[in-house]
Amino acid sequence: MPQKLNEVDVVVIGVGFAGSILAKELAASGLKVVGIERGSDRHTVPNFQAPAIHDELKYSVRKGMMQDVTREAMTFRNHSREVALPIRQWEAFLPGTGLGGCGVHWNGQTWRYQIADFIYKTHIEQRYGKKILDPDLRIQDWGVTYQELEPYYDRFEYLLGACGKAGNLNGKIEPGGNPLEAPRAREYPNPPAKEQYAGALFRKAALEMGYHPFLQPSANMTRPYTNPEGLTLNPCVYCGFCERYGCEHYAKASPQTVILPVLMKNPNFELRMESQVLRINLDSTGKKATGVNYMDAQGREFEQPASLVLLTAFGLNDVRMLLLSGIGKPYDPVTEQGVVGRNYAYQTQSYVPTFLSEDIHLNSYMAAGASGTVIDDFSVDNFDHSSLGFVGGCYILCGSTNARPIEFHPTPPGTPRWGSKWKEAVRRHYNHTAVFNLSGTSTATRWNYLDLDPTYRDAWGLPLLRITFDFPDNDLRMSRYVTHKASEIAQRMGAKIIVDQPRTGPFTTTTYQSTHNTGGALMGSDPATSAVNRYCQSWDVPNVFVVGACNYPQNSSYNPTGTLGALIYWTADALKTRYLKRPGPLA
Amino acid sequence: MNRTRQIGRIALLFIVAGAGLAGYLSAQTGATGSAQVGARIVSEGSAKGAIACARCHGFDGASDGSGAFPALVGQPAHYLEGQLRHFASGDRQNAIMQSIAKGLTPEEMESVAQYYANVRSAAIPQRQGTPELLARGAQVALVGDRDARVQACVSCHGPNGAGEPPTVPYLAGQYKQYIKVQIQMFRRGFRKSAQMTDVAHDLTDQDVDAVAAYFDQLPRPTPK
Repeated sequence: MPQKLNEVDVVVIGVGFAGSILAKELAASGLKVVGIERGSDRHTVPNFQAPAIHDELKYSVRKGMMQDVTREAMTFRNHSREVALPIRQWEAFLPGTGLGGCGVHWNGQTWRYQIADFIYKTHIEQRYGKKILDPDLRIQDWGVTYQELEPYYDRFEYLLGACGKAGNLNGKIEPGGNPLEAPRAREYPNPPAKEQYAGALFRKAALEMGYHPFLQPSANMTRPYTNPEGLTLNPCVYCGFCERYGCEHYAKASPQTVILPVLMKNPNFELRMESQVLRINLDSTGKKATGVNYMDAQGREFEQPASLVLLTAFGLNDVRMLLLSGIGKPYDPVTEQGVVGRNYAYQTQSYVPTFLSEDIHLNSYMAAGASGTVIDDFSVDNFDHSSLGFVGGCYILCGSTNARPIEFHPTPPGTPRWGSKWKEAVRRHYNHTAVFNLSGTSTATRWNYLDLDPTYRDAWGLPLLRITFDFPDNDLRMSRYVTHKASEIAQRMGAKIIVDQPRTGPFTTTTYQSTHNTGGALMGSDPATSAVNRYCQSWDVPNVFVVGACNYPQNSSYNPTGTLGALIYWTADALKTRYLKRPGPLA
Repeated sequence: MNRTRQIGRIALLFIVAGAGLAGYLSAQTGATGSAQVGARIVSEGSAKGAIACARCHGFDGASDGSGAFPALVGQPAHYLEGQLRHFASGDRQNAIMQSIAKGLTPEEMESVAQYYANVRSAAIPQRQGTPELLARGAQVALVGDRDARVQACVSCHGPNGAGEPPTVPYLAGQYKQYIKVQIQMFRRGFRKSAQMTDVAHDLTDQDVDAVAAYFDQLPRPTPK
């Protein structure tokens, strides 16, 4: 029998960026908040300190910060006619676990989405007509606009201490920034990062070709910064251990550095670690959540009653929790009925390894997670698609997050994969190779979705999440086009060897691409095609809010964290100014 | 003994001493080229008027142990040269070192840095602190302090404070008094570093004492 605990006002499932910010806002409003986190307690001191944190084998190869697949895996298949199998080792994407969630091991790329992203269906159909869309594509509007989210983007960027140069201040184009960005109300809190040598070469070539290069916006501090919560971050030392690692210097924005110390001091908040939420409980009507059941590290099951449940456990896990709890109708790709699991999308990544002359020493190991020079000319709908026969695009980034010795050894095609010839090639190319990274839109389709696996279960006996996904042909055509544009820039940089490597299908879970999993619990204005309303509130169970990249109806070109931050504060505002005054449906 | 012979003897003594020093230096450093230029400046000063470095820092770079002068032996040449430039420009403010550094050409700065980076010094007896002080020092140095939001010193200064050449100096075996004074310099802006300014402000005086005592009693890193 689960032990029933005293009722609290709010239960937060998963304490990453979304969980910690929402918990902080609500606890500060006087509510009793309990945060339940399945992973371990961890902090900059003592957990992320060098030299132990710079352990490539532990963190990069063995994925030391990621969800434990021996307890809780996911299953995957490319198509619904196939049988899905469990992912036994994280490679394609890296779901984090533990206090701070993915906010600990992210790179810090801090982007905003475009105006067109939020009204994607309306925008594309207006500009090109419906015919540009392949029949199986399913794009939708978000139910919220860029203009509505702008103040919340701003708030999140000032929380993080985002580093960049505005390119569009209230419609006025600013030199040095990204002229193609959506207008922002004020400048970034901190100046952009230092430019890497490869980035400088890229900038020169891109400018000569008429593009608009700028330094990628980042959350790796460029100077000491005290955020509005009163927490001070230190400047980044460009050590090259961001992504997959925690930052030892208080230099990367993470829940630990920008919000948790404030939250933890509030007596209204209680954190419970190593506790696995099993389900959100509903009352007999199925329209109201009564709390959650969870199991602690000792195997004791508890029932935690609460009047409000916030699901903030990473997009994929949010969708699974909705399915396990019977909240919202599961999506069926055959009938296209149901909403939970709908429009799972990803990120269409491709790379252009650019092998330069031996007298160009790039020293790419001097890197922050979001280092790099980038052009936005081929992102989303920043270019005319009328004659191209596809929608979407990529940003083209030249920069390195690291040149760590175990992971980074670029060799040209045709090099043997081991032995003396391989070593010779690594020696020749290690310090002379720039790798362009193209981060591309992922267009939702009818057939890419999430549901519960009929066969495989986790350590608590609950069905695993099943992912059914392959790249739609539209996205592969897009990748071919933009990757070729990137190769032209590499050519201009004087590369000796260029590997024009567009994304090809089928999607495989065995090579790293991106952790940007989106969709499954979309936000929108129509309950028939979205799981939550424009305030990230469940249509079916109004005292459950779901905040994660699972809210995105399809994925944009950009890294999703900036937009997630905007949604977090947008939701916090709706909760504080409207929901708490009169609990009930907000839309 | 007539006066001429006496002068001759003294002159001979100087020649012998000079030859001995040169032999000592080349045996000690095993270095050639710019390090030999460096050795001359260390022992004699420079043409532009810098006094001999050895007066305070010793020929072996261990200085006098009072902590008024840092140990330079085996510090990365890149770091030492950078500090000389900062003294000369005033980026690092120090009345004594500024005039000395201004008396060195860029080439001489490099040579002196090379000399002390490559010199050898005899091991010195380890100093003592109370077990409580050293334990607290080890905690801050190796793990950091969560409440003060201070990262471990070794995150930048290398495993056990052995330095992270070429840019980050070692702390292991550095004099306690010198470390303490430098923290004050960072706090007051006489020394500038984006990283160290914050760290210096975040550390309490007690923790500065503890960290300095902890590093002082560690052996200096073995030269590579």
